[in-house]
Amino acid sequence: MEPTFLYGHFIEINLAVALQVIALGFVGGILSGFIGSGGAFFMTPGMMNLGVSGVIAVGSNITHKFGKAMVGSRKHAELGNVDKRLGAFLIFTSFIGIRLAVGINSMLFEGGGDGHGTGGSAAADLYISMVFVCILSVVAISMLADALRTRGDGDSAGPSKGIADFLARHHLPPYIHFKIADVRVSLWILMLVGLATGYLAGTIGVGGFIGVPAMIYVFGVPTAVAAGTELYLAVYMGGFGALNYALQGYVDIRLTMLLYLGSLMGIYVGVYGTKVVKEIMIRVVTGVVILLCVVSRAVAVPAYLRQLGWIDMDPTWDAWFNGASKIMLFVAGFSGCALILYHVLRSYRERLRVEHRLTEARSTA
Amino acid sequence: MKGGTEAGAVAQLPAGESREAWGELPDPHQETAQIVCISRGSLSRGRELAEAFGRKLGYPILSREDLIEAATREGIQVGKLETSMMKPRAFTERLARERDHYLAFSTAFLCDRLLEGPLVYHGRTGHLLLGGVSHVLRVRVVADEEHRIRSAMQTLGLNRTQARRYLSEVEEDRRNWVKAMYGVSWEDVSQYDVIVNVERMNAGNAASALVAMSRLPDFQVTPASRRALDDLHLTARARLALARDPRTGGYGLSVTAHGGAVYVTYLPHDMEVAEDIVRVLEEVGGVRQVRATVAATSILWVQEVFDPASETFKEIVEIARKWSAAVDLVRYSPCEGDGVETRVEELTSPPRGRVESGIEEDQEEPADDGGLRSTVDALALEGRSGGGRSVHGERSGLVTSCCGSARRSLVVLGDLFLGKDPGAKQRMTRELRESIASRMRVPVVTADELRSHYLFGGADILRLVGYLALVVAMFAAVMMNQVTVLRFLSGELFGTGALRMYVAAVAVFLFVPIIAHSYGSVAKALMKLMKME
Repeated sequence: MEPTFLYGHFIEINLAVALQVIALGFVGGILSGFIGSGGAFFMTPGMMNLGVSGVIAVGSNITHKFGKAMVGSRKHAELGNVDKRLGAFLIFTSFIGIRLAVGINSMLFEGGGDGHGTGGSAAADLYISMVFVCILSVVAISMLADALRTRGDGDSAGPSKGIADFLARHHLPPYIHFKIADVRVSLWILMLVGLATGYLAGTIGVGGFIGVPAMIYVFGVPTAVAAGTELYLAVYMGGFGALNYALQGYVDIRLTMLLYLGSLMGIYVGVYGTKVVKEIMIRVVTGVVILLCVVSRAVAVPAYLRQLGWIDMDPTWDAWFNGASKIMLFVAGFSGCALILYHVLRSYRERLRVEHRLTEARSTA
Repeated sequence: MKGGTEAGAVAQLPAGESREAWGELPDPHQETAQIVCISRGSLSRGRELAEAFGRKLGYPILSREDLIEAATREGIQVGKLETSMMKPRAFTERLARERDHYLAFSTAFLCDRLLEGPLVYHGRTGHLLLGGVSHVLRVRVVADEEHRIRSAMQTLGLNRTQARRYLSEVEEDRRNWVKAMYGVSWEDVSQYDVIVNVERMNAGNAASALVAMSRLPDFQVTPASRRALDDLHLTARARLALARDPRTGGYGLSVTAHGGAVYVTYLPHDMEVAEDIVRVLEEVGGVRQVRATVAATSILWVQEVFDPASETFKEIVEIARKWSAAVDLVRYSPCEGDGVETRVEELTSPPRGRVESGIEEDQEEPADDGGLRSTVDALALEGRSGGGRSVHGERSGLVTSCCGSARRSLVVLGDLFLGKDPGAKQRMTRELRESIASRMRVPVVTADELRSHYLFGGADILRLVGYLALVVAMFAAVMMNQVTVLRFLSGELFGTGALRMYVAAVAVFLFVPIIAHSYGSVAKALMKLMKME
């Protein structure tokens, strides 16, 4: 089914679409709370499946991320988990990365495919989808490989330390010491990580997938400080990204608001899930869900290739590809969430049962 | 032993069983020997000093190498553990279990040897394994870098640059190891009683000085230090038994022991291990009681006088239930001034009169513990007890004693500094709060703030209604005027030129935090109401 456009490149949002966006936000929020980073890997392609142009989906999502990070980073800052100096060094190059990403997305959106008013540019959608598929394939496969290695091999101790060891062997001055994170990092590596984080946040809205692992494995920052600093960084990156996309007229505030309706509730459920689900299962569920999201996005690619005239295909098949992509995405997200919710509810029930037995024991004592 | 092994299970070993029947703990009246822990850097002549000291007093010497050999025989892959802990990487459950096993084994090994007689241990962190035991003389040996470089060149056949790099890398690895294993800095001078620079005196003279120091009353065995050692020993043996047993070895368990009672907390997703914990600990000598509590985390409650009937108790139990947390009590008796030493006393089981020839010995009147024991017992009944202890001394000592390795989510400061004026009391509580927050990096609240922060109350209802109305108004305004909003966002509602897009962008930039904060507050209040925040 082709989307209906209400004004310019903004789709019409009726009750059904609104409920789907809220559901996307809820699932994205649960996954975000569960994984501790992101959620955009589900929400961005989900909105694209609803007919939202890739650029608008990314613009609205990065705006959503801005507000969400503002709420969350305050808590981390109170706990002393934010290395503001490290964040400040990363912010500068991340802004360059975001500018680069917004520039490429806008250029492709305005220059390729069907253009304004017809559901967005196929060139931009294809570009966003390809970056999404490439980056998140690596993330998902690493997570799954790591989880399987941990389960199978007794001496495994987390993801590869190859990068950290490689960098430690090379002297790359100047080095900067960060007191809260208690690490010493080469300025060049900092700039590179900031650039990559900003570029990915601006292109697909998932900078955290690069920023957090980079801080932990490349810089050697403690996990809690990496998560807190990334959230602090996300406030600025999200704000800068939101400003840039809004300047181009690519932020749909309605989508952002609807995403909040689901995501801010979902986060609590996801975080609760981490208490009652084993670490190995958290990694497996996350890896599988991300991998299915990647496959789902890949399924949508032939339609964009057809729209660009790069392959010869019956235009009616576009709807089938898009439909299959949408179903796969929703199945991935909802089954992941169902698993989390199952554990949350089981634990909740168990808690009540234990309390009941303790009350009984007290009354008989 | 009772079979109740649900969350909060309390298992009491048979009352008729004698202490000896359950374990290898020696007679409590037996004199415990002194231990000297020498922490040495690479090629810093620590071994030489340890041997000189041992010769002077006739104490046997135990080295880190002996400990590692025993740990390897135990089946712990110490080399692999060291490599994993020294590098920046994710701290996996598997690695955490290996670390727990190693720490339990090392502590039990040292305590076992110490119970056989006095001892000189030289290695890296023996003093950290025996934390809380006051009759440990903690010595750090340092040597001039130039001397160490020359030693490395001679012993390892390296050139000057290689020797310097070798020493720097070894030191870095050791720093990382200590940080990862114990969460403290190896070079922090406050960890040691004395630092000896062997460049300035020979090993024999340094040993003589240490012999004199070891004879000071501060480093002699006292009933309190003996109890602390017994508790540490029992904790280590209980932990080791749990780590060795295949039924419990793979679980993340937190273990502490006080006066024969062993408190074990396990995570909510490990409910199935509860019964096995009790079965495994039945076999450990010296265990009189096992208290297994389901807890994802713990809450630390610091107060001068506890009362299980108080409102604060009810509120903390409510929060602990909601979070699946154990509650750890610290009774603080402030005592400020120069030369005041901080004294930490773990809560022990009630003293039992020994039955001899049918006549029960007179029992001493139990000391006033400020309601600590009754509150711990009340918490145990709720399945939320994480143990208790008393801290007497300066605030800095309290802060240090609070910063253990337990996972904590909250620190609650109850009524403190009771003897002070209200103004001073408020200021001192605020200062204590800041110190604890900066050291532990967890939220620290006063008892008065518990309800407003973590429990649903009247203020939350007002907040929920107010923010909900605001959110509804904002959604209505946007959704009922979609075309106008979209025209504004596209810069086509008014004016011409670049300025109109800037206005739209700034409006988005300002509006988004407002909606996020407003709806975030609604979501938080709702989750609080459902006890899921």
